[in-house]
Amino acid sequence: MTTPTRRHGFRAASAIILLLGGVGVAIATWVGGSHGWAIVAIVAYAVLAAGAYVWAGRSSDVAALMRGGGDERQRGLDRDATAITAIVMSIAAVLGALISIGRTGNPGVYGEFCVIGGITYAISLFLLQRRR
Amino acid sequence: MDNRVRELRAAHDLSQSQLGDALGVSRQTINAIENGRYLPSLPLAIAIARYFSSTVEQIFVA
Repeated sequence: MTTPTRRHGFRAASAIILLLGGVGVAIATWVGGSHGWAIVAIVAYAVLAAGAYVWAGRSSDVAALMRGGGDERQRGLDRDATAITAIVMSIAAVLGALISIGRTGNPGVYGEFCVIGGITYAISLFLLQRRR
Repeated sequence: MDNRVRELRAAHDLSQSQLGDALGVSRQTINAIENGRYLPSLPLAIAIARYFSSTVEQIFVA
């Protein structure tokens, strides 16, 4: 049973995730040899993280989710948005694989995304139906 | 599904924010329930009913 009560979350949650992502992108870009772009990336992500921290201090639905909190309705919004995103990504992966097969005879990375998506869905369904 | 949350809240002279705080949900969620955009879970519906010393079926009308 889900709890209706609000989870207050942690205001810096989104900012920390953005900063960690930025550090990852910057390191990869630096290792790839583009040192200038690596610095641009870390600065850009730091600005985004600062913006996320400010936004997360508000009282809106989005701000609550950015804090990793939210009540049952807000968590439901997050679940639905995640599901819609997954559906669109899946369609894009399948279309990409079909186009790639048509062009090269190989699904390429789109095929890998399709496999990952399919396996993840099957495992998730198996585990979730045992819980509910 | 109609509900009497707005009417009961007004009768208790509460703002959406105050009722949300009492129930542990956001002001936006109270607003969504009152306007029929969101149907609360059973635990939240029971919490609302208990808060107003009423029953779920008296507040939420199918």
